[in-house]
Amino acid sequence: MKKLVDDISPIPEPYQFISILWLSFLMAGVATGVFFSAIDPMELEACVDFPEVGRMGAYSVGFLLFWLLTASSSLLSCYFLLPRKRKTSGDDTTVNQT
Amino acid sequence: MNAPQNDAAIKQSLFEKHQKIYPREVHGKFAQLRILSVISLLGLFYALPWIPWDGRQSVLFDLPARKFYVFGLTFWPQDFLLLTFLLMLAALSLFFFTTLAGRLWCGYACPQTVWTEIFMWMERMVEGDRIKAMRLDQSPMSFKKFRIKATKHAIWIIFSLHTGVTFIGYFTPMSELTSKIMTLELGPWATFWMFFYGFATYGNAGFMREQVCKYMCPYARFQSAMFDSDTMIVSYDKERGEPRGQRRFGDEEKRKGLGDCVNCTMCVQVCPTGIDIRDGLQYECIGCSACVDVCNDVMKKVGYDPGLISYTTQNLLDGKPTKIIRPRVIVYACILLGLISSFIYTVATRTPLELDVIRDRNQLYRETRGLIENVYTLKIINMDDEAHSYDLSVSGIRDIRMQLEQEDIIVKSGKVLDVPVRLLVEEDALTKRSTEVVFSLFAKDNQKLAEVERAKFIGPLP
Repeated sequence: MKKLVDDISPIPEPYQFISILWLSFLMAGVATGVFFSAIDPMELEACVDFPEVGRMGAYSVGFLLFWLLTASSSLLSCYFLLPRKRKTSGDDTTVNQT
Repeated sequence: MNAPQNDAAIKQSLFEKHQKIYPREVHGKFAQLRILSVISLLGLFYALPWIPWDGRQSVLFDLPARKFYVFGLTFWPQDFLLLTFLLMLAALSLFFFTTLAGRLWCGYACPQTVWTEIFMWMERMVEGDRIKAMRLDQSPMSFKKFRIKATKHAIWIIFSLHTGVTFIGYFTPMSELTSKIMTLELGPWATFWMFFYGFATYGNAGFMREQVCKYMCPYARFQSAMFDSDTMIVSYDKERGEPRGQRRFGDEEKRKGLGDCVNCTMCVQVCPTGIDIRDGLQYECIGCSACVDVCNDVMKKVGYDPGLISYTTQNLLDGKPTKIIRPRVIVYACILLGLISSFIYTVATRTPLELDVIRDRNQLYRETRGLIENVYTLKIINMDDEAHSYDLSVSGIRDIRMQLEQEDIIVKSGKVLDVPVRLLVEEDALTKRSTEVVFSLFAKDNQKLAEVERAKFIGPLP
C-alpha cells in the first residue's frame, strides 16, 4: 500500500486518501440507502443461511461491505492512473502513456 | 502571477506539511450572522430528538422498524422516491444560492463550518486568544501547558460524544437510548456508530477544519462552475488598496503614493482557511466574510471609508452594473419552484395506501361456460400506522364479476398483502381485445384512504 501511495506521486498525499476512502464512503452511503430501501434485510435473512444480526446489524454490515467494494474500485482506478514507468539506460524517466 | 507559476505554487502548497491555522476572533455584521446561524442550526440538531410529537419523537428515522417519522408524517421504504426528490431539491437550492450569493452554504450553514466554529469557541475559552494559543503551542511541554491542552481535549471529547449520542438519537428513540446508555445496554452497532460519529466530529472540527473544505469537499471543487460576474464574492478592491503600506496615523506626508491598505494583515489573521484575500479570489475562500468585518473595523480606526474588502460582485468591482435577475438565476428559480410545489403537492395528497395490479403472466384469458376470465394479483401496501380492513370493487365492463379467494382484506400497518383476483365478464360485453378495468380500494373505516388502479382486461379477438 505504501509503495502504491508513493507511486501516485502526482496526486498529493491528502488527495490519495480522499480519492480512495472518502469518496467511496459517500458512494457507499448512497448505495446502502438505495439497496436497503428496496430490500428488507429481514426478508433476506429468511432466505439465506446467515448469522442473525438484526436489521441494524444488517444495515451496518451492508454499508461496510459496500464501502469495501467502492473503495477497492477507487483504489484500482488510482492504480490504473499511475504513469507507466519505462526504464531507459541509466535514467528512469516517467512516460505518460495515454 | 502567471499561470505556470500559479500552478507551481499550488503544487508546492499541496506538498507542504500542513501548518496549523490560528484564526483571530472577529466581530461585526457577518460574524453576528454566522453566530446566529451556528446557534440556530446546532440548537435544532441537538434539540429535535428531544421534542415529542403525537406521543413519539418528532423526527425519528426508525431504521430497525423501517419507518421514518417526520413530525406528523410517516414514511415507508415505498416512499423512497420522495427522498430522491428531496435530495434533488437540496442540490438545486444549493446551485441557486451559489449563483446568487456565492458560497453562502460554506460560510454559514455547512456542518463543517458550524462545528468548527463551536470547537474554536471552546478552544478560545480554554487557550485564550490567537496570540496566547500560538505562544502556548510554541512553548515547551510544562504542567501548565499539559493542563490547558488536557482541559481543551476533555471538553472537545465530551462534546463530540454528546454529538454522537444525539446522532444515534435520530435512529433510536432518545428516551430508550438514554436509559440504555445509563445501564450500558446499548447494542454493539449503535455503540459503534455513536463513537464513529463522535470521532468524526472530534477529528473534523478539532483538527481537520479547513482541510476538509480544501481537500475533501466535492462541492468546493465544482462550486465555481455556478459563478458568473454577478455572483456575490468576497473581494479586495485592488484599485483602492494598492500600493499597500504601513503608515503613521494622521501622517499625510508618509501616506503619499500609498493606497488605502495599511497592510495590517488582519484579513490574513482572521481567515479560517489561512489565505490572503488581497491575492484575489481563491478556491480556498469559503465566503465567510471574516476579512470584510475586520477590515471595516480597521478602516474605521484609521479614518478611511469601509469597504476595502467587501462582499460584492465582480461587475460592481469593475464599475459595471450588477444584475440580480439574469437567465441563469431565472432558470434555477423556475426549476426550484417547480420542484418545491410538486414535492409539497405529492406529500400533501399522498395517501398511506398503495395498490399495484399485476396481471397473471401464464395465460392471457380463459373461457369458462361463455364467460371470459382474467386473473390478477393485487399488491396492497398499508403505509398507515394502524391496520385496516378494505373494500375492493371493480368497474369498466358491463356486468363484470369479481371473485376473491378471501372474504376480508385486512392489511396490518406497514405490511404488503397479495390478493389473487379473478374477473369474469360475458363474452358479448367485450368489443375490443383489450379493455380497461378500474380497481378501487378503500378502507372501511376511513373513506379518505382510497386508491384507484387501472389494468387491462384481455379477451378473444372480436
